[in-house]
Amino acid sequence: MERKEKKQKKHQQKHSGPKAEKKKVKKQGASKEEDERKRNPKAFTVQSAVRMAKTFYRAQDLKTKKHHIPLVDRTPLEPPPVVIAVVGPPKVGKSTLIRCLVKNFIRQKLSNICGPVTVVSGKKRRLTFMECNNDINTMIDLAKVADLVLMLIDASFGFEMETFEFLNICQVHGFPRIMGVLTHLDSFKTNKTLRKTKKKLKHRFWTEVYQGAKLFYLSGMVYGEYQTQEVKNLGRFISVMKFRPLVWQTSHPYVLVDRMEDLTDPEKIRTDPKCDRTVSLYGYLRGAHLKNRSHIHIPGVGDFQVSDVVFLPDPCPLPEAQKKRALNEKERLLYAPMAGVGGLVYDKDAVYIDIPASHVNQQQEEVRPTTELVQSLIDTHATLDAKMAVSKVSLFSGSAMLDSTDGTNQSREHEGLQEKPVWDSIMNRERRKVIFNEDNVEEEEEEEDEEEDEDDGFSGSSDGEDDDQADEDENQEDLVTFLKEVRVECEGMTEGHVPPKKIQKMDKGQREVITEAPAFADSEDELENNKEDDETWEAGYSGHSSTKNDEESEEESMEDGSTAKERLKNQTEKESEEEEEHGTLRWKEGLQQKAADTFLRQQEAAPNLRKLVYGSVVEAEEEEEEEEELGGLFRVSLPQKSKKVQANTPDCSRFTPDTSHNWDLEEMLNSIRDCFVTGKWEEQQDASTLLKQDEELYGDFEDLETGVVHTGQAAEPGEPEDEEKDEEKDEVQGKMNNDVEEVQRNRRLEKKRRLKERFDAEYDDGDATYFDDLKEEMQKQAELNKAEFEGMDDESRVQYEGFRPGMYIRVELSSLPCEFVNNFDPNYPIILGGLGSSEGNIGYLQMRLKKHRWYDRILKTRDPLIFSLGWRRFQTIPLYHIEDHNGRHRLLKYTPQHMHCGASIWGPITPQGSGFLALQSVAETKANFRIAATGVVLDLDKSVTIVKKLKLIGYPYKIFKNTCFVKGMFNSVLEVAKFEGASVRTVSGIRGQIKKALSTPPGAYRATFEDRLLMSDIVFLRSWYPVSVPQLYNPVTSLLLPPTQKDSWSGMRTLGQLKNDLGIHNKPKPDSLYKPIVRAKRLFNVLHIPKELQKALPFKSKPKQQQPKGKTPRDLQRPSVIREPHERKVAALLQALSTVHNYKKKKIHTAQHAKHKHFLQQKEKQEEAQLKRQKLAQKKRYRVMGQMDQKKLKSSLKGAPKDD
Amino acid sequence: MGESLQPLGEEEEGKEEEKDEKQAKMQTHMIVLKEPFPTIRIRQQHLFDPSGFPYSRLPLTSCLLERTWIFTPGANNNMASLGLSYDGCNFFRQRLVLSTLSGKHVKIKNIRFKDDDPGLRDFEASFIRLLDKVTNGSRIEINQTGTVLFYQPGLLYGGSVEHDCNPQRSIGYYLEALLMLAPFMKMSLKATLRGVTNDPTDPTVDLLKSTALPLMKKFGIDGDGFDITVVKRGMPPGGGGEVVFTCPVRRIVKPIQLTEPGKIKRIRGVAYSVRVSPQMGNRIVVSARSILNQFLPDIYIYTDHRKGASSGKSPGFGLTLVAETLNGCFFSAEMSSVPQGQGTVLPEDLGRNCAKLLLEEVYRGGCVDSSNQSLALLLMTLGQQDVSKVLLGPLSPYTIEFLRHIRDFFQIMFKIEVQKPLEDERKGGDKVLMTCVGVGYSNINKTVK
Repeated sequence: MERKEKKQKKHQQKHSGPKAEKKKVKKQGASKEEDERKRNPKAFTVQSAVRMAKTFYRAQDLKTKKHHIPLVDRTPLEPPPVVIAVVGPPKVGKSTLIRCLVKNFIRQKLSNICGPVTVVSGKKRRLTFMECNNDINTMIDLAKVADLVLMLIDASFGFEMETFEFLNICQVHGFPRIMGVLTHLDSFKTNKTLRKTKKKLKHRFWTEVYQGAKLFYLSGMVYGEYQTQEVKNLGRFISVMKFRPLVWQTSHPYVLVDRMEDLTDPEKIRTDPKCDRTVSLYGYLRGAHLKNRSHIHIPGVGDFQVSDVVFLPDPCPLPEAQKKRALNEKERLLYAPMAGVGGLVYDKDAVYIDIPASHVNQQQEEVRPTTELVQSLIDTHATLDAKMAVSKVSLFSGSAMLDSTDGTNQSREHEGLQEKPVWDSIMNRERRKVIFNEDNVEEEEEEEDEEEDEDDGFSGSSDGEDDDQADEDENQEDLVTFLKEVRVECEGMTEGHVPPKKIQKMDKGQREVITEAPAFADSEDELENNKEDDETWEAGYSGHSSTKNDEESEEESMEDGSTAKERLKNQTEKESEEEEEHGTLRWKEGLQQKAADTFLRQQEAAPNLRKLVYGSVVEAEEEEEEEEELGGLFRVSLPQKSKKVQANTPDCSRFTPDTSHNWDLEEMLNSIRDCFVTGKWEEQQDASTLLKQDEELYGDFEDLETGVVHTGQAAEPGEPEDEEKDEEKDEVQGKMNNDVEEVQRNRRLEKKRRLKERFDAEYDDGDATYFDDLKEEMQKQAELNKAEFEGMDDESRVQYEGFRPGMYIRVELSSLPCEFVNNFDPNYPIILGGLGSSEGNIGYLQMRLKKHRWYDRILKTRDPLIFSLGWRRFQTIPLYHIEDHNGRHRLLKYTPQHMHCGASIWGPITPQGSGFLALQSVAETKANFRIAATGVVLDLDKSVTIVKKLKLIGYPYKIFKNTCFVKGMFNSVLEVAKFEGASVRTVSGIRGQIKKALSTPPGAYRATFEDRLLMSDIVFLRSWYPVSVPQLYNPVTSLLLPPTQKDSWSGMRTLGQLKNDLGIHNKPKPDSLYKPIVRAKRLFNVLHIPKELQKALPFKSKPKQQQPKGKTPRDLQRPSVIREPHERKVAALLQALSTVHNYKKKKIHTAQHAKHKHFLQQKEKQEEAQLKRQKLAQKKRYRVMGQMDQKKLKSSLKGAPKDD
Repeated sequence: MGESLQPLGEEEEGKEEEKDEKQAKMQTHMIVLKEPFPTIRIRQQHLFDPSGFPYSRLPLTSCLLERTWIFTPGANNNMASLGLSYDGCNFFRQRLVLSTLSGKHVKIKNIRFKDDDPGLRDFEASFIRLLDKVTNGSRIEINQTGTVLFYQPGLLYGGSVEHDCNPQRSIGYYLEALLMLAPFMKMSLKATLRGVTNDPTDPTVDLLKSTALPLMKKFGIDGDGFDITVVKRGMPPGGGGEVVFTCPVRRIVKPIQLTEPGKIKRIRGVAYSVRVSPQMGNRIVVSARSILNQFLPDIYIYTDHRKGASSGKSPGFGLTLVAETLNGCFFSAEMSSVPQGQGTVLPEDLGRNCAKLLLEEVYRGGCVDSSNQSLALLLMTLGQQDVSKVLLGPLSPYTIEFLRHIRDFFQIMFKIEVQKPLEDERKGGDKVLMTCVGVGYSNINKTVK
């Protein structure tokens, strides 16, 4: 066989000949498919239009099904660490897993897992691990902030309730990524059971999460740790995982707090241990932008207003972008202040982690507690250096440019010594005055309070400034006041891009200038204007009218506070400059010049707009002070318009025009010429250029009719001209040359192709669908969002867009309850959830609710229930209702078993569409499922329209034909009046209407019915009574409880629980008790039939002697006959004889009967035979007759022609 | 109406009409006001005195008004609902409108307290009434003299609303606020406003119709029922005009990028005359065209002469001019005759002056008309958390104050960049580019099904 095969000739491909040519063409040219289409077009035509339409629709359906609503991508460039919640029932290996993962990522052991642990996992990703304990409060809170959930499942046990509870919590609050991890796999004896269990668990997990959800297997432990390879794989999975944006998370800012410090004055705590605490909380900002002074909610604590937010340098930064694959040792960072890492210093105020010396050399110093401050300073200086390196700062107008190098050099030397005095000398006086917004004030307060724990970055920046000040100190002597300005300016421009500028020193001479300045500045018209405009305007525009230098003023406005002095100084400076420019000529020039001036003035005023609008503190405060000073003495005679007058001017949005514009003048008219289509256009929009472009493209054409060749104008220099030149050259060079033709052809082809492309782009628009357009739009918006504030420094950027996600921020809260600090337990997550506008308010919420199918009881209206909605967990009293067909919300006593119903609560305003879940209690861990209900918020309204059915009952007391007087339904005439015209009904179904109230008895009324009522009838009125929702909002303050009791928060008890606890038993209604049934005997009257009627009745219906056959009376009883023995014998014989006779008679009769039957049969047969015979005879006869008739007919027919 | 509300004797007739409409709104607290101001009654004495409460003062700005943050205990001490406090009646509408949208309560003190006639004016009371009609569950308290107002906003309800606007101010005064609120209501608004349609102080209905509506359309607020119709014209002092404003409801507002105004392609206008000679309109048109024709041939000014029932109670005339650019931006100017008995204006002068006003408006430029600046900025603020940009002319004082108020209520600051015209450019004065990131506001009043 094999040999034979070998002998077969091998296929040889043709290299020449027609076949080879064909193949070559095929390979090069058109695809096979197209070829076939050409060759056999019929096979590819539409066979059935309907079917084609169907397939098309289906294809489109499938395509659109894949679409998601495009959202604007708002993920920041440097995203915050991914929050990974490690969830599972106790003893399943959560801490071990985190420990292993941390070890895997940073090659360092973390013995005690406590609070969030942040690690750098890769070049672009950081992870925050958070362990979730078995408390349902923690589970709820973490589900709201987690990006990824590692769900640990003890395979040896199977699923536990906690797992399912957590999954359900996740479903309600937006589904984060969930990854299952099976542990305790080493406890299986046989491999088969292991495989089976794995499969079973996997499939159950898939039904809960989604088909194909990732489930990880951690097979066994080695020295109390999971196997390195497996952990590594898991780590890889985590660090490449992608996350979907969740609606709630992307629309709200939130912080998972990883550090907490109590800033309260110790003295205050000493005097009043229960005083409210000022606390600063640290963490990465996630989700949306956080605005300063916004509202936040801390689940488990309550609502607070942020008193201050600052961003700090990232404690766990991503490595700088470098082209290498892996992280080096230094970049593997760990940040977990709450965790007890080795060498940990856990003060009341601060937590310091020791990271081995190999990572960061500064850390060594940390061992000595005395150098903490220095340590922090060093730490922060590093960041400042980085900043300073890029920026050049001029401290104030009198100084030279400050280079980053000299400042830092000196500062290093003087650090420890110089710092304090500077602080002290300035702080007390300055604080209130200089800083623009309260943020800074409080910052500094805090700094002052807690100089010990300045280990965060922002203080570092101010330190740097102080150092700079220190430098200045050496140069200038009297400058305590001066320093304020400097410092402030510094703060504003840590990264300020300030160009060098002319600087004048401030001295007394300048101050004189200040006083003179207005005289220069104010020309007549300006004064006029100012009079007319209201005062704000004046303050703004005239005040800053003369500023010249854009950048300077802008930068000035950037900084949050500059002293008035400096402002004035700047002003005068610029004014003097201006003065130099325009000189006194300004006065003498005519209207035209004036117009130009105002124009100029406005131009100059403009840069100050920001300041004009948002102002600076200093001005306001100074004004206030002034007023106070003067207030006592000269209040009445103040020459200025008082503030109050300003405050009460009429409210009008109209913008009065600038009076200096005289629109009769040609110059003014000319100044707006180009605003109209008739004016001059921009270069790229100008019609003539556009036309030219068109010509260039479409210009060459040949008029076929006349044969004239039009060539486009080659006016534009550049390519086309060259081309033409080339062409000409080519022509000259030779028609004999074939190459030239080739070249020309190619060129033409090229040109054609370009034209076509352009045409396609213009007219085809591809197959861009609505979806594509939308996506593109979103994309554009995302780009714009990224680009808009890109170049700006963080300080000012934060003001415009708020703190952006990814920043490490420090949030200061002013009045937290003392329990928060005293009972602080880092194992419980602290979340700062930002609240949107009006989410801090409280009101009525209408929601759609469904009792959870795994919860074993139905829920009762007005039983308190704990909701988890938005960030909050709170107890409230829901009312359940269902919508009737006419849109009425009818109150339900209990939730339906397997159906949605409505629920109305009094609670925090949360946007519609947000999901919630409800629990009956968060206290105990029960065996059964704890989530009682889930649902979604539908509507927010200040009024509720739930009604309850109410039947009012009355009794007729006087009945006329169809009219009836009813009493007992109402109590007064007024009540009846309200229900006039209402429809009523009786129990028997007779309908009626209330007509009018009767004077007596009170509450009685006249009603008409469709039929006559009986006195025994009951009249009722169906009405609907509005029910009000109880206003209970009781936040679950589980974080305030002592550490051991944090999972035992209990709020208001339900009525049932209360009764149970107090041992109250309801006495049953006496009506509801069972009693022996006693039935009364019914008596019926005798039926009397008149005698006449009796007579007329047929016998059947006549009343019989219907006396029941009672015992016949004795006298009527007949005596019984007793026979003699002989007589008895005779009777017996007679009896026997008669029996025999009877038998015989019967026998004879049967025989007779049979005989007769036989006879009848015979007779029938005979008759039948006779009939047959008769029929035959008849047949014969008829036949003969027929033949005769035929003959006759024939003969007559024959005879007829003969006759003729 | 809530049980706490005992209707007062005189108040009852007035309220009977409203009763039917308001039945759905169960808990609305009505303010007890009566037309001439001294008869204002208080339902409740002042809720709180700021001095009694822990409040901290915001160190603030060059602005002359004093703002204070008040913390009021809500229903629970755990819900720190925040409020603002202001002095004086200026920018009254801004404060109430922003308060309604942000849900923060507001307290306005010292309203004309040094005036001979202290307290709120009738038109302000009328405005409060209107606000009460479109909201549900608002709490409004006014002290005896009318110098202190406390307003706790309810939810915007919308629906069909009829309101007799006080003729001291024109309907534009009320309509400007309604334009800001209307897209964020529970039900689409159909407001019938009666009063003065055109007067010299406020933006008239015609102006708002021709500029504010196209502006709002750019924010995605459009659709069938988005319109302002002038049913009757009413001139001051008598009034008697009627305007119907309908607006659909939106859940979110789109961010916009309006940085290129484009060139003006046409000018349209309405010259209206009421209870005067119909010739007035023509005279106005001729004089206005004489100026505008220097720039553009495409000018058409309609004459709208009204008589009989649709002409209101007082005579008057005026002109509204609108310039439309290629990019769909609108500038407008208007002028109306002084109220009867307060002087005379020649229609020719009026036409010319109005045309000049339009030129002034064009000179200011930007993408938004000067009277609608605040509306545009508000809608930008209420947008998604995306960057919005708009090019404006010089900021009006009203807008500047509005920006400050936006910062108070929404913590939003605008990036303000001045764009100066180039050397040889003839496009009017310098412009201001306003940039902001929206707060991510979504209409919480709208019902989801």
